[in-house]
Amino acid sequence: MTIMRIKFLKKLLLSCIFLLGSALHAQKVTGTVSDSTSSLPGVSVLVKGTNTGTQTDFDGNYTIDAEEGSVLVFRSLGYKTLEKTVGTSSIIDVVLLQDATSLDEIVVVGYTSQTRGSITGSVASVDMGEAMKSPVVNAADVLQGRVSGVNVVSSNAPGGAPKITIRGFGTTNNTDPLYIIDGVQTTDGNILNSIDPGDIAQMNVLKDGAAAIYGSRASNGVIIVTTKSGGYNQQKATFSLDMYSGSSQASNLPSMLNANQHMNMIKQSLINDGAALTHPQYDPNGTGTFTVPSQLLGVGQPVTVPGAGNNWPAAVTQIAPTSNVSMSLSNGSESGKYFMSLGYLNRDGILLNTGFKRYTSRLNSEFKILDKLTVGQHMNVAWSNGNSGNSESFQNALRSSPLIPVYDDNGGFAGTYSNSAGLGNSRNPVAQLYRGKNDFNKSMRLFGDVYAELELIDGLKLKTSYGISTNNFDRRTFASLDPEHSEPLGTNTLIVQDVSSFDWTWTNTLTYNTSIGEHNINGLLGVEAVKSTGVGKEVQASGYLFESPDFYTLANGGPSNVNYAYQFESSLFSIFGSVNYNFANKYFITATLRNDTSSKFLGDNKSGLFPSASIGWLASKENFWPTDIAISRLKIKASYGKLGNQDVPGNPTINQSELSKEFSFYGINGSAISTGAKISDIGNPDLRWETSISTNLGVELGFLQDKLYVSAEVYKITTDGLINRDNTIIPTTGPDANAPFVNLGEIQNTGFDLGLGFSDNTASGWSYGIDMTLSAYKNEVISLETGTQVGNSGYRGGAITRTEVGRSISEFYGRVVEGLDENGRFMYKEIDGVPGINDEDREYIGSPHADFTYGINTKVAYKNFDMSAFFTGSQGNDIYNYNKIYTDFPTFVNGNRSTRVINSWTPTNTNTSVPALSQSISNSETNPNSYFVEDGSFFRLKNIQLGYTLPKTTLDKLSMSSLRLYVQATNLFTITGYDGIDPEVIQGGNLTLGVDDQTYPFSQLFTFGVNLKF
Amino acid sequence: MKNKIVYLFILLTAVLACSDEFTEQTAFGSLSDESLKNADGVDLLLIGAYSMLDGHSATGGDDWFKAGDNWWFDVMSDDAHKGSTDGDQADLFLLETYDWGSANPYTTGKWRSLYAGVNRANAVIVQIGLVTEGDFSQQLAEARFLRGFYNLELQKIFGNVPYISEENFAALEFNQPNTGPIWDQIEADFENAVANLPNSQEQIGRATAWIAKAFLGKTHLYQSDWAAAYTSLNDVVTNGPFSLNSEFADNFKLAGDNSSESLLAIQFTADETTSFNGNRGGTLNFTGPNGYCCGFYQASQDLVNAYQTAAGLPLLDTYNTSDVASDYGINSSDPFTLHTGPLDPRLDYTVGRRGIDYNGFGTHPGKDWIRASFADISGPFMTKKNFYNNGEDANVGTGGWGEQRSGINYHLMRFADVLLMAAEAAAETGNTAIALDYVNRIRNRAKNMTYVKDVAGLDAANYVIEPYTSFPDAAYAVKAVRFERRLELGVEGHRLFDLRRWGNSASIIAEYISNEARIVTPFGVAANAYQAKHDLSPIPLNAIDQSQGVISQNTGY
Repeated sequence: MTIMRIKFLKKLLLSCIFLLGSALHAQKVTGTVSDSTSSLPGVSVLVKGTNTGTQTDFDGNYTIDAEEGSVLVFRSLGYKTLEKTVGTSSIIDVVLLQDATSLDEIVVVGYTSQTRGSITGSVASVDMGEAMKSPVVNAADVLQGRVSGVNVVSSNAPGGAPKITIRGFGTTNNTDPLYIIDGVQTTDGNILNSIDPGDIAQMNVLKDGAAAIYGSRASNGVIIVTTKSGGYNQQKATFSLDMYSGSSQASNLPSMLNANQHMNMIKQSLINDGAALTHPQYDPNGTGTFTVPSQLLGVGQPVTVPGAGNNWPAAVTQIAPTSNVSMSLSNGSESGKYFMSLGYLNRDGILLNTGFKRYTSRLNSEFKILDKLTVGQHMNVAWSNGNSGNSESFQNALRSSPLIPVYDDNGGFAGTYSNSAGLGNSRNPVAQLYRGKNDFNKSMRLFGDVYAELELIDGLKLKTSYGISTNNFDRRTFASLDPEHSEPLGTNTLIVQDVSSFDWTWTNTLTYNTSIGEHNINGLLGVEAVKSTGVGKEVQASGYLFESPDFYTLANGGPSNVNYAYQFESSLFSIFGSVNYNFANKYFITATLRNDTSSKFLGDNKSGLFPSASIGWLASKENFWPTDIAISRLKIKASYGKLGNQDVPGNPTINQSELSKEFSFYGINGSAISTGAKISDIGNPDLRWETSISTNLGVELGFLQDKLYVSAEVYKITTDGLINRDNTIIPTTGPDANAPFVNLGEIQNTGFDLGLGFSDNTASGWSYGIDMTLSAYKNEVISLETGTQVGNSGYRGGAITRTEVGRSISEFYGRVVEGLDENGRFMYKEIDGVPGINDEDREYIGSPHADFTYGINTKVAYKNFDMSAFFTGSQGNDIYNYNKIYTDFPTFVNGNRSTRVINSWTPTNTNTSVPALSQSISNSETNPNSYFVEDGSFFRLKNIQLGYTLPKTTLDKLSMSSLRLYVQATNLFTITGYDGIDPEVIQGGNLTLGVDDQTYPFSQLFTFGVNLKF
Repeated sequence: MKNKIVYLFILLTAVLACSDEFTEQTAFGSLSDESLKNADGVDLLLIGAYSMLDGHSATGGDDWFKAGDNWWFDVMSDDAHKGSTDGDQADLFLLETYDWGSANPYTTGKWRSLYAGVNRANAVIVQIGLVTEGDFSQQLAEARFLRGFYNLELQKIFGNVPYISEENFAALEFNQPNTGPIWDQIEADFENAVANLPNSQEQIGRATAWIAKAFLGKTHLYQSDWAAAYTSLNDVVTNGPFSLNSEFADNFKLAGDNSSESLLAIQFTADETTSFNGNRGGTLNFTGPNGYCCGFYQASQDLVNAYQTAAGLPLLDTYNTSDVASDYGINSSDPFTLHTGPLDPRLDYTVGRRGIDYNGFGTHPGKDWIRASFADISGPFMTKKNFYNNGEDANVGTGGWGEQRSGINYHLMRFADVLLMAAEAAAETGNTAIALDYVNRIRNRAKNMTYVKDVAGLDAANYVIEPYTSFPDAAYAVKAVRFERRLELGVEGHRLFDLRRWGNSASIIAEYISNEARIVTPFGVAANAYQAKHDLSPIPLNAIDQSQGVISQNTGY
């Protein structure tokens, strides 16, 4: 198919060239481009004001047709752009200076683009070249620690999407930012799973009022992804190949009791309870003498106990290979250009039989088909399949008795066998993962756009683009019979789920660019329509005769049942405009205005107006700026903007009832089931969108010819009309329906983002650099319409978090453990003054909000060697280590515990914080309390890499333009006091932050890779 | 050039014109208030309100928390132990050992499910008000009956509960104070139902005037309003369409589903595939013959002892002097001798014990069918009424993880219960003759039923049961009626609430703990003392937290 495409393109290109021809009279200019040390390949050379351009070859040479008096622009990422006027000489050699801040880089900021130096809003960009050094699966991961103000928590599960929050928690609703992928809009965080990160040219984050151009969807920030395109007037196609392979391994696995320790734990529990000293495995005859049996007792078949006991967490994990190949081809003629890529990723998970596989392909092209008319397209096709394993399996690995081996003596899976065997009731997690190996989550995703741009008069362009995004998702899970389990399944069950969604965005813009003297004006006017549609269902069937995957169709099971089926549509219509003006590139002003009309609301609440304005002053460009001081650049900027959030499902304004087989059908006539209805969603006709007022004040400083740069911003974001389901309206005394979405109150985030960078190189061939980001915010709930909000109450022991005026969103709330009493039980702090511990004896016991988070990226290069290390961390946040409910307490008595319980209270070991062992939970010790709250600060070496670039002489022999080899390691070490699996905790809902109930182990990844260019 | 701009302008205007329609969007696949504003809508919502009888709501946590058959309330009484190992369902362990916290998910789940029921009934009432044409007085009465039922359950469990009226429902004002009992509102609903419901219904699961009258009587009984209780209940006994089945055990088999003894039942149905309408709340309460999950709900030694007889009559005061022999602490491979003393034959249709046939699945082998270990608090006995009989495949339903979702109807009220409530009201008002008559109707049915047989076809144990010859005085009659309730209705979810309304929980539970500890020693060690606060369950913490202080906690928590 690829070959077909190339042929087709070539034909198209040829015909276009033929049609248009070239009427210019020009002379040939040649030259070499280099930096201080060596020649530079790939530098773009453009005749200013025209589309004539080329790139330097491997030796830095270029040839271009240019008239005398025209200006050549030399541009390369990481270097200062240079302009040279063509004189009489036909040879122009230039030397480019390195530029740490890339101020002339064109940054895509919404419907328009600006140079970095002229931006007045808070727009952060990722150095994709540097970020892509680590083996990234999801492009969002590259934002972590590299962009100040953006907090990214990676998912440990293969193919899991990371959680992104920009500048604190400004909403009680979803915090996912809006993604703009080459103009296609979505708030689906999974979208980035469908893009080969290698295809991305630029990722920019709009953090403040600058995002207001996206109006009602922008209050969580906007991430703009621009994919690579070819360049016009290339001399030959560029083919590049990036590949790596390696493996990941589990790290920081919880330390669980071995068989002997488990036996002592059980015995001590019985002693503490005053119970008879007997146990089906350790002492079946009640002699009082406990021993670890060599064979499981009372299980009806021979099962040998692994000597020291089975280390289940190790048994469910594996060394997991990873490989990735990305290749791309780009080229361009005078009238057409293209970029195409193919990507393949296969990352096995460290849990057995889990993994993520992805194929991507992309074609971006653009053609000048008429004098003033350009057409183009972007198209991304991605297929992926992820299997993150049975979600219970890792928890079961923590719960399984160490006496049980993975396999019995006959080679079948071992298990807990019978209720009376004293082996607990955890399913064999290795068996679960093995039986789930044919489960899948397949996604076929297609998105992109076609566009046409017409230049009406000089500088006035009309552009129309139609973008689509489709997703076809298929999930299959099969629950096989598990005869070795003490609670075996009665029947096997197949569940299939599919969702198919289709969104389109139609955007029409009119832009005008002009410069009159020193006045530079850039205006935009646009209309846009967005429609999202989808259907989905889940069906299950049971009673399969054969448990083999080629038999897993719904038809082969018993009668099937539709668990749910749904359809939805929503639409958004917008009109917007913006004006950028600057005078002499010293004084900048930008204003935007957007009006949105959404189908999700009613009446006057359907439409909203979102203005923004920003100003900037490049003081260092003033004539009075001294040239002899260290500060080479000073820019001051300020912005104000109003943003919205309308991310609510379906039709939140009306009451909806459902016909639910599960909840509302009933056998009213004694046998057959009758159809019934129940109210499922309470509507709120007065719902309106959230609005945020964002103000930002920033300063950009450059020192020592911009070798050192500092960028600092302070901001305040006040969000009013917080959208959230309000459970105080449908409290426990209400119907079993979803609570309505309401505009709950007001939250304020104040904070600062700091970026710092320094880079330099020495005459002796060393170059080095460091980039740092630091972000801090303070979150405060200003008002709540309906009182204190309680977080997710689905945890054992009830809600852990609550949100109250005057505090941060979602702080931990519970009892305070002050020590252990004379029986080794928790002593709780008396708070309400009424003797005895009751419900009033609770208070705030921790906050999930960090004092600050940071990232440090360092790089050193000497001649052909380069090395980089990337650190990231968080300081001052608390984590509620919910998993301790299973590992520290007898939630499942015969299950295993953490080795922490070796130090549990006994009459002779009273100096401890771990309560006395028991067969049962008492004293409400697993209800929310301070025992579970831990300091979540950490410092992590996220990525370290060592690379070697082959010298040019060798490459020439191989006919390559560049070849780099590298080794790298991810998550090499973490310094933290946190006792859980991983201090990076993916958040649940925004009213339930910082609760660690992670179910996938943490891993390290080691890879070897090659970057190759022809 | 001008043309281009004109075209552009036209295009822009056209786009703007479409936008109004473009941003109107209907909801797919869900029913709006408007679409339910008709007779079909009322009927659909009414079925939805009935479907809450099984407790299975979309809120409230795990299925067993919300059990419609109230099985785990027996665990909190002297009838049953939780079963399984102590740490399995630790929250239930806390309930059984009188370590009741307000955050216990069982209590919270039950609360939520009952309020879901109240509000589904309210939804019907409100919807009827919106439909302008047609006569819905019967549907209204059914909805009010159901609301009365759910409120009676709340009242029984929590004592001080918020009352959510249909006006509250329509205005979304669910945050109401709990300032005391809501007996008046419950009575008003049942009285309306008595007045407006037909005496019989074509669809067997629906409420009738007779059923409503029985529940009205029960409501009076719970307030010790004996005269009013007697009037209603005795009317049902003498004039109603109900009678005792000749076989006691039929009440727990297919044969008893919607039989003449059944008033209101949860119409559990083990329908195909996933049995959404099976008994999901009781899904943990299986083990033994088929090895299914999860060994919960075990009868207590105390309950078994209560079935001892002398001259065919129960040992009202001395049943705990000696114990019915049990195999506690004995493995199945070790020998065991069956108890030889005289026993009420209902024992072996109520309790599963070693050496006796278990619902047709063969002789109970003892420990091998018990999940609890000897170190756990649950003892050696199983329960039988909730467990389907071998061969009655129509009652065998399954769920997601192979759960047993039984199709055996659970009788929210059966005629034996009505007889005993009437007898109790009679005894309390000094009418010992009626009390004697009604109790003996129960005992004679038990005497004349088929007894459990051993493998040789002989009576499996020494069954001796006789009717009372007389009740010497009212006090004796009350005692005998109360005892009969326990024997007849054992492990049917009533015991805790009977003890509460009799006001003797404290002494009975204290005695129970000390007696039970004789055999099941771990229970004696683990159980905390019964306190006055245990007369009511705590208001769920989540309810209090969400109410911003409008709902107050019961005394003592």
